Amino acid sequence: MRSLAKAFTRITAVMLKELRELARRPGAIASLMLGPLVVVALFGLGYSGTRRAFDAVIVVPADVGYPADIEAYRQVGTGMIRVVRITPDAEDARRLMRNGEARLVIVLPSDLRARLEHGEQASLVVEWNEMDPLQAGIAQATAVGLVQEVNRQLLKSALTSLGIETVSIGSPGVKIPAEVVASPLKLEARNMAPAQPTFVTFFAPAILALVLQHLAITLTALSMIRERTSGAMDLFRVSPVHGLELLVGKYLAYGVLTLLIAGFLVAMLTMSLGVPLVGERLALVGLVLLLTFASLGLGLLISLIANSERHAVQLAMLVLLAAMFFSGFVLPVEEFREPIKYLAYAMPVTYGVALFQDEMLRGGGGTPAWYAAALLAIGVVLFALTALRLRATMRATA
Amino acid sequence: MTVTRSVTDPIHVKDVFRSYGDVAAIDGVTMTVPQGALLGLIGPSGSGKTTLIRMLTGTLMPTSGQIHVLGEAPHNFQRSTRERIGYVPQDFVLYPDLTASENVAFVASLFGMFWWRRRKRVREVLELLDLWQVRDRLARNLSGGMRRRLELACGLVHEPAVLFIDEPTAGVDPLLSREIWEEFRRLRETCTLLVTTQSVEEAELCDHVAVLHRGRVIALDTPEALRHGIWGGEIVELITERPVDAQALSTVPGIARIRQTGPRTIVLVADDAGAASPRLVDAVRAQGSGIVSVEPYQPSFGEVFAAIVERSEHERPADEAA
Repeated sequence: MRSLAKAFTRITAVMLKELRELARRPGAIASLMLGPLVVVALFGLGYSGTRRAFDAVIVVPADVGYPADIEAYRQVGTGMIRVVRITPDAEDARRLMRNGEARLVIVLPSDLRARLEHGEQASLVVEWNEMDPLQAGIAQATAVGLVQEVNRQLLKSALTSLGIETVSIGSPGVKIPAEVVASPLKLEARNMAPAQPTFVTFFAPAILALVLQHLAITLTALSMIRERTSGAMDLFRVSPVHGLELLVGKYLAYGVLTLLIAGFLVAMLTMSLGVPLVGERLALVGLVLLLTFASLGLGLLISLIANSERHAVQLAMLVLLAAMFFSGFVLPVEEFREPIKYLAYAMPVTYGVALFQDEMLRGGGGTPAWYAAALLAIGVVLFALTALRLRATMRATA
Repeated sequence: MTVTRSVTDPIHVKDVFRSYGDVAAIDGVTMTVPQGALLGLIGPSGSGKTTLIRMLTGTLMPTSGQIHVLGEAPHNFQRSTRERIGYVPQDFVLYPDLTASENVAFVASLFGMFWWRRRKRVREVLELLDLWQVRDRLARNLSGGMRRRLELACGLVHEPAVLFIDEPTAGVDPLLSREIWEEFRRLRETCTLLVTTQSVEEAELCDHVAVLHRGRVIALDTPEALRHGIWGGEIVELITERPVDAQALSTVPGIARIRQTGPRTIVLVADDAGAASPRLVDAVRAQGSGIVSVEPYQPSFGEVFAAIVERSEHERPADEAA
């Protein structure tokens, strides 16, 4: 009983020491808490989320009968295309695209009638010059949409030019307007998600997960390295303190701190930026604790590898960079190839991003059940590893 | 200071070796420190002081030999034994963002002190080291001397039975150094202290001095006995009115060694200075000179240390050959 009370005294002392040290650096705490919030707020305020239309040059072959007036093409592309120039010369159009004055070149077929008369398809050539794979994908989708739209217009025009206003199909007396024949289906799209997505709402939980992991890693790694370089570890080795008591004290301190920061950030995100919290608050607290537990272990692992504070910061930044790319923050984890996918699944933040987004935006239940278990498992493994390593460090050197 | 171990002796070291690869850092040290003693472990940088302290505190295993501190081998200390050991590391810089009292309370907690005893002891120890007035000041805002005292307070707060202090006065001004050593002398009432230092002058303030050189204890005794023992007697400084033949004085009974340190100044080692002095006066007068003074000569501990090392260097080749 007495030894338990002493263990409690030691653990509490380590925890309070860590919290006091942090509290004495209000600037660092403020930047830790407010920094991420300011970044999210700036992102929310600064990013419109509206995609810029593709500036397009349409190559209209001469003597084919297409309108040469730019106004005739204003409605092309359902808002995704803004026609800036009409030219009969394809090379001229491509030069404009290379110079950055246009992003799309649309070449109308010069042999449309001839092809149709031979029962063949003519080609509508759409060209773009995009380095960004996302923009290239959007250009591709825009081109597909454009062809479908032009085909529909051509069919409707063809029927109208033949004097056919309606078409009889099936039962006698049922007349279908040419417009419906050209486009029998219209889209009725609904997003059934509990919260309507915006870029801010979608990325806010992911940023929260990223910030919490980075915070936990940096704080613990630096704390342990400072103990080592300041000579405090020599004192710990002589004193009756057990390595496990040191670890638990630090985990508790940073667990409390991270929970406070997470609470503050969630409050600011929901109240200031309108990010929804559809799920249970208690469930989110649990997820924050799980992510923190696993991330603290990662920080301690870094402290065992790093030999100076500078080295630890470099490693923490490396983990942050890896988290940005592989955690599902930017690109879905499922799209990575097999070995890299394991790297993603080794990082606590990968689960954090998915679980936070699911809990905050959907109300939970949308991620595999093993995600939370994986987070716990990572935390337990890292805790055990660092506890064993610290135990060896605290022993007499042979 | 003894080599024979008593059950009450808190520190006992026997034939201890410690090597790093092929280099012997500690080369066959044997010593026993009795309860309530202040032992100064003196030696130049690299002589093995910190290695010996680390073995005594249980953070480093000896390659061979036996060490017992408070009756236990340090690398297998029970937790309850660790609670009775104090250690002020050479490089411990405290926590700059904690106040003086928070630093002391933190160390007290590490040693398992409960809050009611801790509160009382933190005050006592801060008052003892004249730090109570600055108890709420952050450690980073304390002067160098205050920090040293605070480190000492951290080492004392849990009332250790044995206190190991590694180079407490390195980089400290002489005045503060003297205060710190006075504090050590006061602490002997409650604990046994082993203090390492590079300053030979500080050795004089210890009850016992162990001179460590190249990993060996080349001398271990009280400062006075070391001073007496290294020259084999009491030292007398003789100043004459006129230059005299110093070697002629070697025939005076009871004079062991003679050294001419100036034209009219001679330093002599006598078995009994009191008995030898009248005979010396007679011998000088016989050479036609008067006596200006005959006084006991107190060599500085620096001179004693240099002589001890010199003697060790002379003996070493013989040892190695044997």
